[in-house]
Amino acid sequence: MDTSTINIILLIFHYLFFIYTVSVILSYIVLAFFSIVETLEYQKKNRFVNYKEILSSSISPSISIIAPAYNESLNIIENVRSLLSNHYANYDVIIVNDGSKDDSLEKLIEAYSLVKVDYLVNEQIPTKPLREGIFKSTNPAFEKLIVVDKENGGKSDALNMGLNLSESQYTACIDVDCLLLEDALQKMIKPFLELTDVQVIATGGVIRIANACTIKDGKLLDVDMPKSMLERAQILEYIRSFLLGRMAWSRLNGLLVISGAFGMFDKKIAIEIGGYDTNTVGEDMEIIVRMRRHMEEEKRKYKVAYIPDPLCWTEAPDNYKIFTSQRNRWTRGTIEVLRKHRKIGLNPKYRSLGLVSFPFWFIFERMAPIIEVVGIIYFCVLMYLKALRWDYAFVFFISAYLFTVVFSLVAILSEEQTYHQYKKKGTGIKLIITSLIEPFIFHPFVLYAAIKGNFDYIFNKKKKWGVMTRKGLSKKEAV
Amino acid sequence: MNKFQYFLEYYNGEPLIIQLVWMVSCLLFLAVIILIIYLKFLRVHLRENEKITEKYTKDYELLLITYLYAETDENGVSLERQSVINELEKGIKNTFKRKIIVATFLKLGNEITGEMAESIHDLYSQTKLKKYALSKLKNRNWYIIARGIRELTLFHVKDAHDQVVKHVNHSRREVRKEVQLYLVNLFHFDGLKFLDDLQTPLSEWDQIQLLEELQKLEDQQIPDISLWLRSANKYVVIFALKLAKIYNQFGMKDVLIELISQKDEKVRLELIPVLSHLHVIEAKEVFKNNFNESSKDEQIAFFKLLENLIEPSDEPFIIEHIYHENFEVKYSALKLLKVLNAAKFENLELTPPESDFVKIVEFIKNN
Repeated sequence: MDTSTINIILLIFHYLFFIYTVSVILSYIVLAFFSIVETLEYQKKNRFVNYKEILSSSISPSISIIAPAYNESLNIIENVRSLLSNHYANYDVIIVNDGSKDDSLEKLIEAYSLVKVDYLVNEQIPTKPLREGIFKSTNPAFEKLIVVDKENGGKSDALNMGLNLSESQYTACIDVDCLLLEDALQKMIKPFLELTDVQVIATGGVIRIANACTIKDGKLLDVDMPKSMLERAQILEYIRSFLLGRMAWSRLNGLLVISGAFGMFDKKIAIEIGGYDTNTVGEDMEIIVRMRRHMEEEKRKYKVAYIPDPLCWTEAPDNYKIFTSQRNRWTRGTIEVLRKHRKIGLNPKYRSLGLVSFPFWFIFERMAPIIEVVGIIYFCVLMYLKALRWDYAFVFFISAYLFTVVFSLVAILSEEQTYHQYKKKGTGIKLIITSLIEPFIFHPFVLYAAIKGNFDYIFNKKKKWGVMTRKGLSKKEAV
Repeated sequence: MNKFQYFLEYYNGEPLIIQLVWMVSCLLFLAVIILIIYLKFLRVHLRENEKITEKYTKDYELLLITYLYAETDENGVSLERQSVINELEKGIKNTFKRKIIVATFLKLGNEITGEMAESIHDLYSQTKLKKYALSKLKNRNWYIIARGIRELTLFHVKDAHDQVVKHVNHSRREVRKEVQLYLVNLFHFDGLKFLDDLQTPLSEWDQIQLLEELQKLEDQQIPDISLWLRSANKYVVIFALKLAKIYNQFGMKDVLIELISQKDEKVRLELIPVLSHLHVIEAKEVFKNNFNESSKDEQIAFFKLLENLIEPSDEPFIIEHIYHENFEVKYSALKLLKVLNAAKFENLELTPPESDFVKIVEFIKNN
């Protein structure tokens, strides 16, 4: 190749990266704008809402909380107690023990006076068979509790078993180790009941990180900031993602994912589409994409709603090994879902789903780590060819860094002006410091995990969930 | 100075795009500084606000308690009470304090009942709070109007009826809901007259709230609901059906039977449990005749109705559907067959062994 050809190639790369960076920045600005508008609107609307009436009403619709559990023996008793202490009037809790190898079932039987019952299951979605069977409590205090013991089939299979068992109109699918606030169900069900012009098919809630928070008897008593930078960076990342990202997609009715940690579904639609896909590790995103696809194909008006209130608190990884394993799985999940539903992309038949949401996810989520790595390689090539203008590189780097910091600070500002969860003196400055150093100490790991996820997706198809070691939220009780 | 000049020369010599990126960087840097300062200010402000609010809340609570326990004067307001009113009037002039006073009124109002609650409502009317709440109704922002109506509802300001009712068809659902709650809270079943001409939807969320308010009333005599059952607004019909069920409106049988031919499926689905609850046996034949044309949800709902209104004459219909494709219909049909004709149920042929049919029969036999 002669020098002019190399120059032309470099120039093409040059402009491609520039266009990509500008479009990322613009899209984030637009999303932040829509998020702020949507959050303010939500707060104005909900200032008048009296949730107490829905709480106690006997005609409020029924909800089943479905919580799959696999080897959760350490915390299962406390976690179930937390789920049973919700204030909603008309709900039950279905714990699906997904072939745990530990003593989860025995502990549940003992703690909640469970006995095996004869239960007619309408197997609308195929699942792995029951192992020990279905249990209910002899104690009227736990009449809302149903425990199912089945053969191991993975999280999706366990959720599908819960969908088969549920007799409610709505199902809240939740990770068993999450802490739900007492008013979470009525806040999540509101969009289903209040919209009359469109059918709400699912609602998602904001997930907050409970590491370092004080939790006692299944109740959140105090919110604090963890000491480790990894956990702090995740707190900042969650605030950014939930308050500045998903709220915007909710306004644009373009949400493609509801966190698997806590989401509520119209059970009828969830069953109509065949429940959760058991062949993906991105089951939370996949079910939403499939539900939306189904509604678009049926030409039905629908909405996936989003609640910005901090309703669900979960434990985030506190070491890099578990963190990269989790992000690796998220990446593989995203790739699997986008590939499975590639028909939607740029297809006008699917309207904004096909023309806006799907391409956005593909370009700015799926491709982002790959483009970033190609960018690093391109940078190295330029260095090798001595074609790098260090002053140009410096100013581009500075502007990218400053934009990231501004975006994080806007997210913190949004949090302060709305929910103001981190009230303690000193936590504000910790968040600001995190936003300044996070691009150097957190982002490289996110990128590494995403690239590893891409690699595993292509070369290591057998890889599935990986292990998430939990310390348990109940351990964080104040002494 | 030389360094700055050097930078300026460098900047001027660069292509436009690089100049732009430098400018953007400077702006972003400025934004970072401003945001950090603002965040610091905001957090301090929020913390101080919380402290001040706590202090004022305590002060105003004390004032209100003093008012409630002050001696009454037969010739008018006692001196002690008048001094509380004066103190409150001073605070009301300040928007921040006014919000705290209203919140304190509401908090205390929720904790007390009877004469004391009446006294709180009287005090609210004697101060300028009522005037401020009424002025909110003229605001251009929907959420301020809604807030005003909510306040008038909570303090039982009945004489604001005419001003409130003007917003009954407001374009914002939140305002309409507050108007509806105001009417029902203060004028009870008479307040439901807004349903006569309601043109807008009444969501399930709104319906639950209204029904909960109605169920709190001492006098549970409801007005004639036939007009609402015949309304052209399907949401009004659905709400009236809920009223018919909760308030056992046996007298509405004829109107309810008319509704079987309603075009809207949601109305029909809401109707079936009401017919079941009110034992409208006459409806059964109509549903049986239309069964195959009905939606799956209606078929399930009809079998639920049959579970409540079963008669021996239903047996042929039941047998016809014991092999229905839908699990719930099949289950209901088999359960009903066992009730009507246990011998026939026991002699059912159990094939193929793994089928839903066999599973259901075995379950019913054992339970």
